[in-house]
Amino acid sequence: MKRSGVATVVALALGVAAGAVFAQAKPEQLVKQRQAVMTLQGKYFGPMAAMAQGKAPYNADIVRRNAAYLDNLSRMAWDGFDAGTKGVKSAALPAIYEQPDKFKEAQSRLENEAHKLYEVSRSGDEAAVKAQIGAVGKSCGGCHESFREKQ
Amino acid sequence: MAGLFFLLCSLGVLAQEGDARRGGYLSRAGGCVGCHTDTRKDAVPYAGGRALKTPFGTFYGPNITPHPIAGIGRWTQADFMRAMREGERPDGAHYFPAFPYPSFTRINDADLRDLWAYLGSLRPSAQPSRPHQLGILYRWRFLVFVWKWLFFSPGPFKPDPGKSVLVNRGAYLVQALGHCGECHTPRNWFGAPKKDRFLAGAKLGEGTSAPNLTPTRLKRYGDGELKDILQSGLFPDGDVMGDTMGEVVRNTTSQLTAEDLTAIIAYLRSLPPLPDAPK
Repeated sequence: MKRSGVATVVALALGVAAGAVFAQAKPEQLVKQRQAVMTLQGKYFGPMAAMAQGKAPYNADIVRRNAAYLDNLSRMAWDGFDAGTKGVKSAALPAIYEQPDKFKEAQSRLENEAHKLYEVSRSGDEAAVKAQIGAVGKSCGGCHESFREKQ
Repeated sequence: MAGLFFLLCSLGVLAQEGDARRGGYLSRAGGCVGCHTDTRKDAVPYAGGRALKTPFGTFYGPNITPHPIAGIGRWTQADFMRAMREGERPDGAHYFPAFPYPSFTRINDADLRDLWAYLGSLRPSAQPSRPHQLGILYRWRFLVFVWKWLFFSPGPFKPDPGKSVLVNRGAYLVQALGHCGECHTPRNWFGAPKKDRFLAGAKLGEGTSAPNLTPTRLKRYGDGELKDILQSGLFPDGDVMGDTMGEVVRNTTSQLTAEDLTAIIAYLRSLPPLPDAPK
């Protein structure tokens, strides 16, 4: 009895400890992190867009690297839009939580287009890569239209 | 006498035929293709079909290719100029101001003729225009007459002699062709723009909005940055703008000459700085 009591206490303590380790980050932290993802997406997308529009010389190596980064980044922001962050000041619009299906769809669109860009960037066809950069830009803009306050 | 006549003709003063190539540029500056083209990927440009949702109902941009039945192939140049300047159909009925004639009325005659020549050069499409779907109260076109009497002042743009040629050119592009205020100026209960809040930003429904274009907001960007934004749809940090404006960038602002972009920026900088609307 005594031993099982101790075991329970230990188990509980461990449970609490484990819980603390895996506890969700504070809402403010989640917002900061998802904003960091957006910042980095801008960092790696910007130069590619400039190349697609002929404002910067095309550089297949940079596109390959940036497309790979973007492919990963495009999947990182979403768990930051936890309902618990609703109260934190940011440009995120309530529509994110009012139309979760539409938001989810917008997420997949970016992920798919970014992944396609990653794949196309490996094939080396400059015209196709440029067209796909445009498609990624459109999927960014689609989400910024309905789910983000204008900056 | 005859010599003077020919001289005037050769100068284009009396020329009634517009220049289609120039009209094509003006059409891009006016963003006509946006509302007059369906959003489907294979949609025929200018053949109509795009839905415009408003608090009054859903409007569908009609077919403006020169097809005699589905489009405007039977119109005369005078019909076209009346539609753009007065907001009236060839049969005299009033257009709903979803068609931004309160802006287009400011387009000058020469440009209207060029636009007409351009539209006439398009390939006719037989795609029928979709009827608008309007709220029960807003179906009567004659009520538009009252609206026009209250809020519509027809007439071409008049340059402000106190402002530079550049600023006036920008004002013309923004107010007349670009019809920027249709989205960026808030509207009153009757759907008419609030003049004292011109280009100060507006809510567009469904949570979206058009930002303030007066110096209050634009001062954070340099001229070169603004030019890049209007050409690329991208902010200096790589951020991508919302896709409603993204489309305007693709159709219009990225297509403008560098001089016209400079003029637009100079004009926007000359506006009185208005505060953002309270949230």
